Amino acid sequence: MSKNRVAAVGVGYSSTGRRLGLSSRQLAVQAATAAMRDAGMTPKDIDGSTMLWGVAGAAPPGLDVAESMDVASMLGIGPLNFWNSGAGPAYIGPAIQAVAAIRAGFAHTVLSLRVIRQRMTAAEMLAEDTDAKREYVDGDAQFVAPFGSVSPLQAIAGMPAQRHMDLYGTTEEHFGRHVIAQREWASHNPDAIFRQPLTLDDYFAARYVSKPVRLLDCDYPVDSASAIIYTTEERARDFAKKPAFVEAATLSSVKYQTFENLDDILDNAPVHCAKTLWSRTDLRPKDIDCVQLYDGFTIIVFQWLEALGFCGRGEAGPFVAEGNTAMGGSLPLNTDGGACNVGRRHGANFCIEAVRQLRGDESGVRQVPNAKAALWANAVGSFSGAMIMTAE
Amino acid sequence: MATQAAKYPPLPLPNPLTQFFWDGCRDRRLMILRCQNCRFFVHYPRPVCPKCLSTELAAEQVSGEGKLYGYTVTVQAFHPYYVDKVPYTLAVVELAEQPGLRITTNIVDTPEAALRTDLPVRLTWREVAPDLVLPMFAAA
Repeated sequence: MSKNRVAAVGVGYSSTGRRLGLSSRQLAVQAATAAMRDAGMTPKDIDGSTMLWGVAGAAPPGLDVAESMDVASMLGIGPLNFWNSGAGPAYIGPAIQAVAAIRAGFAHTVLSLRVIRQRMTAAEMLAEDTDAKREYVDGDAQFVAPFGSVSPLQAIAGMPAQRHMDLYGTTEEHFGRHVIAQREWASHNPDAIFRQPLTLDDYFAARYVSKPVRLLDCDYPVDSASAIIYTTEERARDFAKKPAFVEAATLSSVKYQTFENLDDILDNAPVHCAKTLWSRTDLRPKDIDCVQLYDGFTIIVFQWLEALGFCGRGEAGPFVAEGNTAMGGSLPLNTDGGACNVGRRHGANFCIEAVRQLRGDESGVRQVPNAKAALWANAVGSFSGAMIMTAE
Repeated sequence: MATQAAKYPPLPLPNPLTQFFWDGCRDRRLMILRCQNCRFFVHYPRPVCPKCLSTELAAEQVSGEGKLYGYTVTVQAFHPYYVDKVPYTLAVVELAEQPGLRITTNIVDTPEAALRTDLPVRLTWREVAPDLVLPMFAAA
């Protein structure tokens, strides 16, 4: 991606936590304002707005929607030359829409947002009085929900993790080693919600949700908004912070969304994504200084490590257990602590962490020395996306 | 937290394209849509064959033989119906008729320790609500 290079020049978060009592608009404004402040930018510098609003899972009633034109208007951004509030595999959706719009010349500077609200808790779902009414499911869900596929994690994580164990001899300890390594990174991140280091005993003490997935394998649902501002290479150096350049990016959809019906529940969209990504850059896995891989559930990290070629097919468990992804390891992974520890920002945290690592002076002891290339990846299964960013 | 389980699981709401599947289940016959031009089975039901683009598809009964492709023993109930049914095994079974032809189901009458990828399984039926019989599988 050498022509029409795009750079990320501002990043920011809203307040983040469980049921904050903030509207989606408030969250969006907080994150967008933080990103503009980070870039040393005013609303007049921006001419595009992309976002993904929503809940990953069952939504509590009464949530207000946020929308890209609305967010821009509230902040005095405009007239807009490009906007989109459409779907996509979590934050990589609005990220790639922003990058594509700039590369195509539709806009020069785009604010991209992921606003995500906390899903219903299991207790809230169980408290629903379904005896009062019969609950019907239509579409493809009619072929899975009557069998008790009622939480995304069963098909997204439970079945693939079990299959990985059966096919490759991956162990629960391997999953635990990843959880522990990631928490170690989080312990040095003042923005992380969970910072207490974990032991293998702690991991095995966590209850199962759907075997082999334990509570500690799951990201932490929160209310949050994340913002990243992209601009042209021509403008990128005019702002306050060192730009992080988009070296290569990719989106992939391999099947319509029901995860149970994927042609392969282990080798799916990330495999296609990785192939495309490496074809769009001269960089190779050995050139990547840190990776930020979507950790909605532990098995997804393993799927991405293998898909991207950082280890062989089926070898993610031993690769992680050997310490490669931990602090001091050969492949620093999820250096902000991941969504299990910073909260479910649905991929945007990985982009923000990649940008900060490439700036080189914002991560304290988590800083990867001389980080020149960072890779972040989002989602799994039927759809996903990934991006390589560079410091130069 | 629900103290009493709901009577029924989420219930299927058939549409014109999927009605045959649930009618078949009521008669304890597992029916899958099949391309009448190239003989490719298509599941979930779609109005077109992805192999030859023929729109001539018809439901055909399958044998109920298969093997376990994916499974997870669900321990946490996420719906009131499952409060007194956990742990249960959510599974994807690959049907014998065609590589990659799979349906989502539950494994029943099979000890958890016996579960493994590629375990041979056979169709069995469970009535879970009035007029709703679900295709489930057990170790063959």
